[in-house]
Amino acid sequence: MKRAHTVISKAVSIMLVLILSIGLTACGSGSNSSNEPENKPSNGGTTTEAPAKNVELTFWNIWNGSDAYMGVLNDKVSEFQKENPNIKVKIEQMPHDQYKLKLKASAAGRQLPDMFVVWPGAELKPMVDGNTVLPIDDLAAEYKDKLIPSANLIDYQIDGKQYAIPNIVVYTHMIYYDKDILAQAGYSEFPKTYTEFKEMVVKVRELGVTPIALGNKGQWVLQSCYISTIGDRMTGSDFLVKAMSGEKKFTDPEFVGGLNVIKELTDLKAFNEDLNTIDNNQHLDYFVQGKAAMFVEGTWSLGGVQEKLPKDRNLGLAIFPAVEGGAGNPQALSGVTGQGVAINKDIDPAKLDAARQFIRFLSSEDTYNRLLAKDQLVPATVTVPSDASDTLKQLISLTSGGVAPVYDAVLTPQLTEIINNGLQSITMGTKSPEEVASELEAAKAK
Amino acid sequence: MHLLNRNKWLIWLGISPSLIVYTLFCMIPIGISFYYSFQNWDGFSDPSFIGLDNFAALMKDQVFWSSLKNNMFVLLASVLGQIPIALLFALLLNSKLRGAKFFRTVGFLPVAISTVIISLTWNMIYNTQYGLINTLLKAVGLDHLAHNWLGDPKWAMLAVCLTIIWQYVGLYLVIFLAALQNVPAETLEAAEIDGATGFVKTVKIIIPMIWGTILVSVILCISGSLKTFDLIYVMTNGGPAHTTDVMAIYMFNKTFSSFQYGYGSAISVAIFVVSLLLISVASRLLKAKED
Amino acid sequence: MPHTITVPPEKAMLERDTRHSMRKKILKLVVYIFLTAYSIVNLFPILWMFMNSFKSDDAFSQSVLAWPKQWLFANYAEAWRVAKLGLYFSNSMIIGVLAVLFTVLLGAFASYFLARFRFKHQTKIYNYFVFGMLIPIHATLVPLFILENKLHMQNSYLSLIVPYIAFGLPITIFILVSFMKSFSKDIEESAIMDGCGPLRIFWSIILPMSMPSIATVVIINFINNWNEFSFALVLVSNPDLKTVPLGLSNFVGQYTTSYTTQMAGLTMALIPVIIVFLCLESYLVKGMTAGAVKG
Repeated sequence: MKRAHTVISKAVSIMLVLILSIGLTACGSGSNSSNEPENKPSNGGTTTEAPAKNVELTFWNIWNGSDAYMGVLNDKVSEFQKENPNIKVKIEQMPHDQYKLKLKASAAGRQLPDMFVVWPGAELKPMVDGNTVLPIDDLAAEYKDKLIPSANLIDYQIDGKQYAIPNIVVYTHMIYYDKDILAQAGYSEFPKTYTEFKEMVVKVRELGVTPIALGNKGQWVLQSCYISTIGDRMTGSDFLVKAMSGEKKFTDPEFVGGLNVIKELTDLKAFNEDLNTIDNNQHLDYFVQGKAAMFVEGTWSLGGVQEKLPKDRNLGLAIFPAVEGGAGNPQALSGVTGQGVAINKDIDPAKLDAARQFIRFLSSEDTYNRLLAKDQLVPATVTVPSDASDTLKQLISLTSGGVAPVYDAVLTPQLTEIINNGLQSITMGTKSPEEVASELEAAKAK
Repeated sequence: MHLLNRNKWLIWLGISPSLIVYTLFCMIPIGISFYYSFQNWDGFSDPSFIGLDNFAALMKDQVFWSSLKNNMFVLLASVLGQIPIALLFALLLNSKLRGAKFFRTVGFLPVAISTVIISLTWNMIYNTQYGLINTLLKAVGLDHLAHNWLGDPKWAMLAVCLTIIWQYVGLYLVIFLAALQNVPAETLEAAEIDGATGFVKTVKIIIPMIWGTILVSVILCISGSLKTFDLIYVMTNGGPAHTTDVMAIYMFNKTFSSFQYGYGSAISVAIFVVSLLLISVASRLLKAKED
Repeated sequence: MPHTITVPPEKAMLERDTRHSMRKKILKLVVYIFLTAYSIVNLFPILWMFMNSFKSDDAFSQSVLAWPKQWLFANYAEAWRVAKLGLYFSNSMIIGVLAVLFTVLLGAFASYFLARFRFKHQTKIYNYFVFGMLIPIHATLVPLFILENKLHMQNSYLSLIVPYIAFGLPITIFILVSFMKSFSKDIEESAIMDGCGPLRIFWSIILPMSMPSIATVVIINFINNWNEFSFALVLVSNPDLKTVPLGLSNFVGQYTTSYTTQMAGLTMALIPVIIVFLCLESYLVKGMTAGAVKG
């Protein structure tokens, strides 16, 4: 099949275009049924299905930072270039915030690159509605329940169609704590219930140490890292979907209860006073400086804490404890897949095969293995190597209790804006949890 | 003037290059943007015409009104802060004071510094727990005056305005220094010879002489304040909870974070209209004083 | 006992003189204290940035105010590499200098006619230019992007130079017109007597007299262009054409920021602006005697 395809690649790519242009995307063209996505990079060159002609693909991503996953993905991109001299990938890299601005401006001007990194859920939906991204269901079929469990593909599905293959998984909630400070407060182990957690906060406060360092200037920390998991403890993981469909309300007591946790923690003086004027870099600094007993952020922070924390300090990892009376799974963590690459709907048909080949190469078993080796969690079912670092093993055990949705990936951007600002208002005491909840409910109705 | 009638073509030749570039790359884009304000558009899908709906919604939008109010704070602080301070420094630094060149350069520096650095350093100054201001207040026993400067809705806007004043004094300093070059040297020297009382007298003589430039500065202040964006965006991003939101930031967030492109355009129309209104009022008031 | 009246006249003069010079000295002292305080406030951010630009990120996390224990000059090399300053500095220079040159040339020329002549629609045209100052630039990002696409401008320096000129013209014309208007009308009249044409008057009289205000607009435009971020981000896609502010944003990740290398980069990026200011500073304060004599 592969050989045949190589021979008639041109014909097939034209056929593919025809099929795609009439919207028949769900069934494969037959060219990919035997193409295992877990190709080793070494056969990437031999299994080429790219047209003989040189093509140039433009590709935008945010992988110019120092995060470990970025290094792996960039390496893969350059390997792809080496092995496919006839395909030139022209890359433009930007930091996260700038990237999103540029992507939106370019989408509005209908000038997106051939391929671009997209965020799942709420951010992807308007792009799909605006006909800017190409469904890749046939490509996804190669992965589905083989390399990637279908549950890990759904973040990038809109109305049943797949638009990207995820490359990494992040959990947005993790408690990083100083074992020695907690021991001083009388805790050799992290509290198991919310009530005990609150007691611990009070005891740490009595030591003259800030219990939780929080930098919420960017507004997403309380929403993404706190309420996405804490809310889930109260409501269970299907609440957001039900609330959006009207089956449930944001004013329901379980949701208000989640917001109320933030209020209670604020009232207990769990956070530093300047929580709304410092950012997440600074809350990490407060922790590193020993000014705080813990901080809450996603799994991505682990590398930074380990690097910056003086060697004589003992780092502990935990997740938010069970909340008494909560309807959710007390082990679940808010998490989301990411760094998937989408294809421009208006891509030149002659380039499409090359783009698909690129995605196959990028999201391959080899990539996921290399990401694991860098202590990054991946959406694929690859075996954890026996020599995995303790950090990775601990991360995997802490994050294996189930996945809860991240609010900003599910809520519409308008609702996200309201809850972001609402959480800040709660910490300032200018709004009550009930008021924020009714604001959300009112905005949802619009 | 008699030159003119003979040189009509020359006048148009002189103005048209600017006029063409400016029309094509400034006015047409803004015209298109204003046109979006009559549409319901998320920036991705096909826009639909909705008439004045965006403006009707804007009139009822509390966040918009509070951001407009914050803009007015910035405006007042800029006009009443930047201009007098800059004028004072310009008069001092226009003289043959030893080290004037150094002070002029230093006075101008804040305009040139990256907003990232300004934000970082002023956040350190304002920080409620470890900040310079609160540390000083506590050191002299004025603990009750210590506040959460950027985090408290009562103080946040004031703190932001103070930083903005500081940032742009240098700009008006430069403008006033240039204006003072048209003031006869004898008038300025009088200030140095007579000392303080002389200084006050000179100011009374000089101000009318550079009144035109003061008017220019006020108008620059108004237009600058109403579209102020960079510093607040980096320093607070309008937070906490919209406390320091200004119209340009609200417009930016609506357009590029909430996918409400049409609504964002309506906000920029509002910025334009409010600026125009205030500038015509200000120039009328100030021109009257000139006459 | 009356002890002040019976002083000999010369001595009184002397005393008044010393009192006078004492007062002058005190006044001078007050002025210097005032200026020094102002300088400290202005220099603090820069010195702070400079000091921290030599720290490691760990050391910066530990304390933002402590003096660096070891001075990491390597931060500068790292910043130069990460922000691609080698390439971007020359891009920014080309774009910045050309944009300023054309903005000020076109602007000064237009201002000359708007300020010194009287013709039909003059006020309307002037107001039309001033409108440009009231526009929040972020509103124009998308339309401008589409426009440049249609004109196929994206793959050249023009994609930034032209919008920078267009958006620099309003403030340039606004400031220059107000300055040029303030010169006395006799200037041209005597020049015309001498047989000068309008272009000659512009080049040899009005332009030299306007040097302080020209210097002002050059400084304002250069800083605006040098630090401009949004247009550069959206309008430029070719990595070889990017500018310094885009490079400096490379230190900011999705979740983390490397502040110390960023500060090294920002310190380097500040140098050209200070050089431009120092070069033009003398024009700002050099009273153009030509104006004073003829005016």
